[in-house]
Order: sequence, then C-alpha cells, then structure tokens
Amino acid sequence: MKNRNILMNILAVVIACVFLFPLYWIVINSFKLDSEIFAKIPTLWPKEFTLKAYQEQLSGLAVTLKNSIIIAIGSMLISLVLSVPAAYGLARYKVKGSKLFILIFLITQMLPASLVLTPLFLTFSKLNLLNTYLAPILSTATISIPFIILMLRPGFLSLPKELDDAARIDGCNAFTSFLRIALPICKPTVITAACFSFVYAWNDLAYSMTFNTKDTMRPMTAAIYTFMNQYGTKWNSIMAYGVLLILPSCIIFVTMQKHIVAGMTSGSVKG
Amino acid sequence: MPGKGKGMNRVIGYIFIVPAVIYMLVLIGYPIIYNWIISFQDVTTTTLGSAVRDFIGFDNYKAVFSDSTFKKSIINTFIYTVGCLIIQFSIGFLMAIFFSKKFRFSQPIRGFIVISWMLPVTVTALVFKFMFAEGNGIVNAILTNLNIIKEPIGWLLKGNTAMLVLIIANSWVGIPFNMLLITNGLNNISNDIYESASIDGANTIQKFFRITVPLLKTTILSVLVLGFVLTFKVFDLVYVMTGGGPVDATEVLSTYSYKTSFQLFQFGQGAAAANILFVCLFIVALIYLRTISKDEVM
Amino acid sequence: MKKVIALLMVLSMGAALLAGCGGTSDGATSQESQSENGETVEIEFWHYMSEDKEGKYVNEAVEEFNNSQDEVHVTAQYLPRDELMKQYTIGVVSGELPDVGMVDNPDHNSYVSMGVFEDITEYYNSWDEANFLEGSLSSCIYEDKIYGVPWGNNCLGLFYNKELLDAAGVEVPTTWSELEAACEKLTTDSVKGLAISAIGNEEGTFQYIPWLLSAGGSLDSLDSDASKESLTYLKGLLDKGYLSQECINWTQADAEKQFASGQAAMMINGPWQFSGIEEDAPDLEYGVAKVPKADDGVYASVLGGENVGICTGANADAAWKFLSWITGEEKSQEMCESIGRFSSRADVDSETVYADDEKNLVFAEILKNAQSRGPSPQWPEISKAVYTAMQEVFTGQKDVDTAMSNAQEKVDALE
Repeated sequence: MKNRNILMNILAVVIACVFLFPLYWIVINSFKLDSEIFAKIPTLWPKEFTLKAYQEQLSGLAVTLKNSIIIAIGSMLISLVLSVPAAYGLARYKVKGSKLFILIFLITQMLPASLVLTPLFLTFSKLNLLNTYLAPILSTATISIPFIILMLRPGFLSLPKELDDAARIDGCNAFTSFLRIALPICKPTVITAACFSFVYAWNDLAYSMTFNTKDTMRPMTAAIYTFMNQYGTKWNSIMAYGVLLILPSCIIFVTMQKHIVAGMTSGSVKG
Repeated sequence: MPGKGKGMNRVIGYIFIVPAVIYMLVLIGYPIIYNWIISFQDVTTTTLGSAVRDFIGFDNYKAVFSDSTFKKSIINTFIYTVGCLIIQFSIGFLMAIFFSKKFRFSQPIRGFIVISWMLPVTVTALVFKFMFAEGNGIVNAILTNLNIIKEPIGWLLKGNTAMLVLIIANSWVGIPFNMLLITNGLNNISNDIYESASIDGANTIQKFFRITVPLLKTTILSVLVLGFVLTFKVFDLVYVMTGGGPVDATEVLSTYSYKTSFQLFQFGQGAAAANILFVCLFIVALIYLRTISKDEVM
Repeated sequence: MKKVIALLMVLSMGAALLAGCGGTSDGATSQESQSENGETVEIEFWHYMSEDKEGKYVNEAVEEFNNSQDEVHVTAQYLPRDELMKQYTIGVVSGELPDVGMVDNPDHNSYVSMGVFEDITEYYNSWDEANFLEGSLSSCIYEDKIYGVPWGNNCLGLFYNKELLDAAGVEVPTTWSELEAACEKLTTDSVKGLAISAIGNEEGTFQYIPWLLSAGGSLDSLDSDASKESLTYLKGLLDKGYLSQECINWTQADAEKQFASGQAAMMINGPWQFSGIEEDAPDLEYGVAKVPKADDGVYASVLGGENVGICTGANADAAWKFLSWITGEEKSQEMCESIGRFSSRADVDSETVYADDEKNLVFAEILKNAQSRGPSPQWPEISKAVYTAMQEVFTGQKDVDTAMSNAQEKVDALE
C-alpha cells in the first residue's frame, strides 16, 4: 500500500509539473527584461533577474485594487444570495415550470458578452448606474448566477429526502431547514460556488471597462491596456500583471481548500 | 405533515427560485430581445442613431449566410467546442478520480491545478500565443531540443495547427473546472455504498461503472451542457490569440459577430450572427432538458 | 404553467420598457451644462493617449488651459483606443458622449456618419488659425462639411540596424531591387532582412499602403498591374525567407521587438516606436530612411494620426474654445512634439524644428508625401478587403491575381 501511495504522489507531482508549465512560464518571464524575452533562444531561467515589471504595476494600484475588491465581493454576495436558494428550490421542490426556469438560466448564458454590452449600457444609463460600483457588480453577477445554479443543483439533488423530514420533525420550517441543514452539508459545493463567483467578477474586464469610463472606478484588470497598446507590448509587464491578478484568487482558493473536504454526507441520517 | 399541502410547497419553491429568475430576465432578457429586434432591422452607421429603423425581414440573415467566412465560423465553432469538450471532460474526469484517492499530495496539488482556471483569459491567450510562436516560442525550443521535431512548427501560421493550439489553451483552462465539478459530484457519493459493494464482491471496474457513473449522471450532464454553452461562445481567447486568423481559419461565431458589428459597423448582421449562435445553443439546451426530465430525483 | 409564462413575458417587457427601446436620444448628454451668469462651463475630453507616455503631456496641456482662463474647465479622461471607439458606438444609441473626442484619422468618417461628431464648418471657417495640411484635414471632411480638426500625424519609414548593415557591407536601400539585394546579404539563420506587420486588421493595411502606392497602384484599382506588382514583390521577399512567415501575426509593436532584439536587420515602422526601441535596446545604433520605392515608382508613405472633434450634443462653444486652443498655432507644435507626433499645421516649419533631430527630420520629410487613408465612411470594409488579400497571398491560400481581384470585387460592391 505504501508503494502505491508513493507512486501516486510522484505521478501527482509529474502531472502538476507538466500541467502547470505555462504558469511557470508566466512567472519566470515576469522577472525577465523584454529584450531577453525576445531573444532568439528562449531561456528557462532568467539571465538577468529584474523586478522592473512589478514596479510598473504599482502605479494606480491602490485605487484599482480597492475597486476590484469591492466589485468582486459585491458580485459574489449578490450571486450567492440569489443562486444558492434557486438551486435548492429547483432541486428539492416540485414546481411547475422548473424546466422552464432551467431553460431560462441556460438561455441567459447564451449571448456572448460583447453583444450584451450595448443594451445593458442603455439599461444602466437610464438607471443612472454608470460609473458606479453597481454596474459592474450587477452585470458580472449575471455570469455567475446561472452557472452556480446549474452547478449546485445536482449537489442539492443528492441530499437524501430523509434529512428534510428529520428537520421538519425537529420543528424547522422550509427556510430554516435550508439554512441549518442543507447548506452546512453542502458546504463544500457552496464554498466552491462562492469562489467561482468571486473569480469571475475579479477577472472581469469587458463589463467594468464599458460601464465605468472614469479611471478612478476601474478594476485592476484594466491595467492590461497600459502594457498592450498601439505603442508596444510589454510582455514582462503582462506576465507580472497575470501573476498579480491571480494572487488573491489563489489565496482564497488555498484557504478554502480546508473547507472542501472529501466525503461529507455519511452519518447524518443514521438513527 | 400537518398543514403542508401541495400548494404551499409550490409557493415556497417559487420563493426560492423566482428572485434569481427575475434578476436574470431583467438584466439579460432585454439584451436578448434587443438583439433579436435589430437583427431584423437595417442597422449600419447611418441608421444606428435613428429612433426609427427599417424592418428588412430576413435580409441580414441572408447576407450572413451567404458569407463564406460565416459558414467557416460555424464549422470552426463546432470543431473547437467538441474538441475542447472531449479533451477537457475526459482528462478532467480522470484527474478528479485520481485526486480523490487519499495520498499525501492529492489535496494541495489539486489546489494548484485549479490556478490555470483563475488566470484572466487575456493573459492565458497571450501566454499560449507566445509559447507557440514559431521563432522563439518555448514549445518549439523544447520539441527541437528533445529531437521530436527537426524544424520549428509554425503553430499559429496554419489553420489546423492554430485551431489545435486554441483547443489546447482552452482545455488547459477547462480541465480544472471540469475536475472540480466532478470532484464535488464524487464527494456527494457516500463511501458506504462503495463499502457495501466491496462486501458484495464488486471489483474496481464494476464499482466504477455500476455505482460511480450512474450516481454522477446529473453532475456529468450539468458539466457537459455548461461546458458546451460556455465553450461555444468563446470570444476573448480566440480574439486575443489569433484574431480569427490566419485569414479566417479560426474565426468563430462570436468573433465573427463582434467584428461585423464593431469593426465593419454592420450591426444588424452582427446581431443576426449572434442569434444563430444563440439558436444552436438553444437546441443543445432543449436536448439537455429532455435528458434530465427522466431523473428528477424528487 | 401558462400563468408563469405570462408573468415572465410581462416582466421582460417591463425590463424592455424600463431601458427604453433601442432608439435614441435627441442628443442630450449628461455633460451638457449651460453657462449661466459667467459660471465656468465643464466639458469632458476623451482621448486615447496612454497615461504612462503621452497622457502626461495631455494632462499638462489641459491644466495649462484650465489655469489660463475660467470660462471653460476641461476634464480629460484616458480610455484605451478600442474602448473609446466602442464608447462612441454605444454613445450614439445612449446619448452618453463626451464634449470633445479623439479618433484615429481613417475612422473619422465612419463615426461622423454614425452621428458621433458635430458639423463645425462654421467654427472652422471663421477661425483665423485654420491652416492645416490638406492630407490631414481631408480625413475630417465628410460630404463637404468639416467634422473635426487634425490633432497630429505620423507616417511610416524604414528603420535599419547600422551595425548589421555595416557588417554585411550593405548600403541603406532606396529602391525595391536594392532592398531585395540588401536582404539577401543580411538574412542569416538567426536574422531576417526585414520585419513588417501583415496582421489581419487595420495595422496590416496601414503597413501595406506605402508599397501599393509606390508602384503606382491605388485603393480604387486593386486589380491593376501596378497594384499587383506591390503584393507580388512582398510575397517574393517572404518566399525567399527575407521576411518571417510570422509577420501575419505580428502587430507593428511585435515587429519592433524583432528589430530591437536584432532578429530583423530592418523594419518598416513609425516614429512612435522610438521610445520602445530606447527601452528595449538602448545601445542599438539605428537610422531611419524613406520606405524604398518601386524601381520605376515614387517614394510613398501612409498618413497616420488622430483627429479631434466636437461630439453631438456637446456644449459646442466651450468645446470649440478648447479645441481651437490645443490645435492652434501656439500649442499644436509643442503638444505634438511632446507626444511624438508631427503637427498637422501647414504653418509649422519642420526643418527648423527638427534641425538637431536627425531621425525626426527624416520622418518630417516623409510626411510631406504621406497619403491619408480614405476618407470614406466605409473605410473599415475597404481596409478589410486589403488586409485579407495580403493575408491570403502570404499564407499561400490564393495567388496574387485571384486575391486582388477578389479584393477589388469587394470594394466595388461598396458603391
């Protein structure tokens, strides 16, 4: 058994190395000078280590970082509040039209974002939400909501019905049963959902740029235009930009890993 | 159950579901209707700003269908989507199973693999473009050093290799996503079932096909349909990496629609193209709904 | 079930009503503010001069303007170029446009026909500093009316690596034959003779035009022998390996990287790349020259640059005050020099201004004969026909004759 474990560990590391090579490439190039990046022969390790690319990220970072945080958290909250109950309702309740609802959620994901921009802009303009945090928050939530519903539904479906009955006997009504029983048991899936909605909103560029033209209201993702425009492409800066952008998402995922523990449901319905 | 009639149950169900429905309809329903409307109107530079535009029936659709680039983009989009799904799903599934076994590195490494999905798509597209460059791309460098190829391959210079690179890049992003969702599904299968099957004498393969797969069915279907919808409407990855090129070898429906609207200013035609994308996905959604009706567990 | 459907229909209709049904504004913008009793008028200026480079100087100029008088206060906002163009398009429908806006000169006509810019012919004609180069001004004219003022221009030239040329014993080429011969000597396993951008968008067309014009071809007659000659020549360079096949994926910025890293001995590019080369290869010794001309042709180049105009629904008087100041005699040259452009004013004597600056002097010379693109509201489609033909030929999909006739057909179909 021990040999098997060692083998699996080695295999896992190999898989990780191969799979994460592009990521390694991003990180290592963020420490090179552009001239080295463009040399005829690519180097696996920088000849000249430099932090210049990271220094360039710093201008305006305070404001854009704050904006990104607000937008991502706001979007995550709205998304969770709306989609988790919806997934639960669709899974646990026989309502007429659940198929129609699922269809609606799928349909709302079918238009490419670029085509949604103009009409959404009109909507936000009439509601005076342009250049506010709400416009990116509300629009990015539309990306994660249907996705989370469709992702959580199977999770809630697999909860044994007996749980619900047990809860009712203990005096819970529909909502408390949802909050106190279903959610904690499905915690891993719900947390995964929260992480997904955070990341989607955090990485958003199109919605935020279109609805917020003032540069004080833009998120961190907007910085890409500083490094990629008609005057040139600063590859090392683009790589550094990528590294900085995934840091928060990584931190969140890594800390949340503890809550996404394998094998949860056994034991809850016994006796 | 005292006082719990079917009617009451239904109302409670609605209360859980409807807020999300209303939210999506209000924000996205209007854009969908807007696009349908302008696809039947003559909307170009001179008519964009006018309040009244001519209805020209299906002219936009006819124009779009007679464009060879459009036809190519439909084929490309399907090839791309199916290719990605096959790769992402199978590898994602294998990895989910592999990493659900208990060995020391399973958790942390699984956590690491997810990082690829968290990168902004623009950066992913640029990195792959850069890695697969003919001249000084690292992929060619490694392949020639390992003597797998003699001459550098112009990956992004020919249609089929460019499509391959796009599929690889998208799969790189999609595999962790598939893996995570399937892992969640696997977690929901209680270990007891496997234990009792073992007691009954089932071997690994039997356990896999008789227990795991059937119990994962709803998850698998969700993953496939979501994967299809999200992959089919790919935009940023293609636009940034190849721009639809070389010439139109990697043009997909959403890039075609975007370019038609925002670069050629043929807004009506661009909307028509987008609606065709929409219709394709709609059909897929209907197929999905038929398959899940059979196993509404409740 | 039916009730549910009905309810949902009502809700989406409500959403549609709420957001207004597509149509448009009568040009009312939130930026409009009338000056009452001498209060300062606020106007917005949207531009795409990147903040870390040109943007600084724009902001300085704006501040200077604001401090010099208190009738008009300008707020300048940077947007990346593609974003700004998108905002114009959306703005036509929503009415949210700035007071003064910047636009790339070949695109100007398209946006005018969309209704983004206002007719300022009267303002222009009664302006005593209205003195601009014809080529530059032509891009602002649509249906005989003026919709903007040129902000600054640039053009394309040949950059060459002095070291590599000296080592190969090659003189700076001035004609196509000389260029080909030079490339032959300069191209090695690790160095290509020339780098250009042949990408499938406006940049590709921009790069191709000098070659087209030099041979005597033109955009109206893409299937003429002269036009075809230019494409055949470039394809020849490609086939002989003097041009990298990758140029079909390169932007002009990518071509600069090739040149700066010494992988291309020469490149076709413009003066805005000076700072990039400075950063990427500060020790590189290079010179600039005119784009080589066809053996029996003329020196030609293409005109790039921006225009600025007053947007629909803006506070026109206030906007004009700012616009005329920043493109006026006093400010234009200063502004352009700081941002790496050439002033479009006809009263600027480049030879004096750039007397000490060898490289810019060459470009100032080239500018005199640089042709502008279009002007036409259908420029994007013409451009597309051109870069598609170039890409088809470079990838071997079509031969020059077929590609160019197809391109001509597309252009003809545009009226």
